[in-house]
Amino acid sequence: MFNKAHFNKINTAVVVASAISLHAQALNHKIDFPKDSPVSLLSEDFGNSNATARGANLIDVNAALSLRNSGQKRIRSMTLMVSTQDAAGKGSVSVPTLDAGPGETFSVHISTRLVRPLTAGNPVVEVTLDGVLFDDLSFYGPDLLHSQRNMIRWELEAQRDRKYFKTLLAAGGPEGLRKEMLSSLARQGDSSQRGVQMVRGRATNIDAEPESQFAFLDIPESPVEASNGRARIGASLAGAPRFEVRNRSNRPVRHLEIAWIVRDQQGREFLAASMPADMTLAPNQSGPVAQDAALRFDRPISIQSMSGFVSSVEFADGSQWIPSRGALDQTRLRQLVNPSPEEQRLSQIYNRKGLQALIEELKKF
Amino acid sequence: MSRHVMETDLALYAAGDLPVWRGAVVKFHVRGCAECRALVEALRVDRQELRRSADDMPASVDWDQLAAEMTANIRVGLAAGECVTPRERKIATVSWRPMAIAAGLVVLLAGAWWLNIPRTDTETIGRALRNIATRGRAGSPQEERGPVVGASSTGVELIENGGQIRIDQGGLEPVMFSVSTQGSASARYVDQDTGQVTITAAYVQ
Repeated sequence: MFNKAHFNKINTAVVVASAISLHAQALNHKIDFPKDSPVSLLSEDFGNSNATARGANLIDVNAALSLRNSGQKRIRSMTLMVSTQDAAGKGSVSVPTLDAGPGETFSVHISTRLVRPLTAGNPVVEVTLDGVLFDDLSFYGPDLLHSQRNMIRWELEAQRDRKYFKTLLAAGGPEGLRKEMLSSLARQGDSSQRGVQMVRGRATNIDAEPESQFAFLDIPESPVEASNGRARIGASLAGAPRFEVRNRSNRPVRHLEIAWIVRDQQGREFLAASMPADMTLAPNQSGPVAQDAALRFDRPISIQSMSGFVSSVEFADGSQWIPSRGALDQTRLRQLVNPSPEEQRLSQIYNRKGLQALIEELKKF
Repeated sequence: MSRHVMETDLALYAAGDLPVWRGAVVKFHVRGCAECRALVEALRVDRQELRRSADDMPASVDWDQLAAEMTANIRVGLAAGECVTPRERKIATVSWRPMAIAAGLVVLLAGAWWLNIPRTDTETIGRALRNIATRGRAGSPQEERGPVVGASSTGVELIENGGQIRIDQGGLEPVMFSVSTQGSASARYVDQDTGQVTITAAYVQ
């Protein structure tokens, strides 16, 4: 018969199962920088990192790395890749607003959870250098994640925005800079974002959804013009975008990105995704772009319309075009385009330390 | 006589079964009423005929046995009636012990599931069950058709072939996040003290 002793046995089983399941192991990790790397590791702290077996290997990486610029050039940004064998995909941590001169130190914090199937042996997390960008836009690193393109764009945006703020300071004095900072902080606070998932490959039901037109905002200075956009729209999802692009510059293009804007039933617009495309476009040449992907929003949304604009272009020689501040000051774009990492850094300095600290920071460049 | 005596009283009067007072009243009426008197006479004749018939019954009848057989037949009839009448269900008495064992097992299984099965697997099973329940009408486009990358106020996430990467930068809320149709998701964080910006990303392999 069932009695108190049986209850005790079940309780013990639960406790033992819990203890076995939650037994977290110290994480094996490897930080692998090439010997000729312009960045060297000063110290590492993986104190809160661990690996737990719970149906799969749950690997929590919480690390603080102290790094030093051991090269001869100023470092503007850096990307580290985080991965483990058999885990899905790769993760990365980038610091885009660095200004580390030779011999100077800086720190990077990594907080990542990886899940991989249970396999024999302890999982090993690898942290490797994917790339370093210097102030002359030269690059070092294997670039496995194609981070060079992003890092160059961040640096071009940083140069553009610092120049813009310096011009404001020269023309309007500290008060002019203050107004612009307040305006920037207000825009950052107003930006409406929605959680979104993206799936590549053929989706289950997007093909059955009706196709809608995709309008493009024309930026006159853009070297590439986009047109004839179409995409399928369903309940809280949009997908299978396709459009045509024409290279209206006199330089061959090898990569471009389109910002995808969605308008909801309340008339609010927000950036839903970016659509990068690798393609070769000779001057004046046109070509189609089709993306086999679908977006799904984490909250119900009735998509009323879609639009887009060319947000960056990479030429065959590796140089890039990004919209100027003048182009972004078009009312509609100004509300939609995310501020650059550098604008966010500078506005945060103003917010925390005041106008004089911001002016001193701008003088460094 | 304008009013006659009730026929039942006449029958009792004919048998001598009326009370004394009531019998005197009926006797007085019958003397003066030819119609009632004729009815009383007819009842008395019928009574005498009945007695004669009773005298013709077999002498060997055992009245006690006959009464017992009739009682038995009545009971058989009642039992047969119960067979064709809907019966009331008896509520089985449930013991607390099997219930306690079952509850313990449920708790044990739920605990083991929570401890050992990753949340993503639970979500995947939940989506599959919802799909079955709704016959596929609730299916979302990204379900198990390919790698999924997501970006939200909780960070970035990649789910592919049962594996997962989630980068949340220590629980901080990103100042912005986005996904790319080439298979990546990114989130941007700003250090409140230094202003240093950190961008995390997950990439489909």
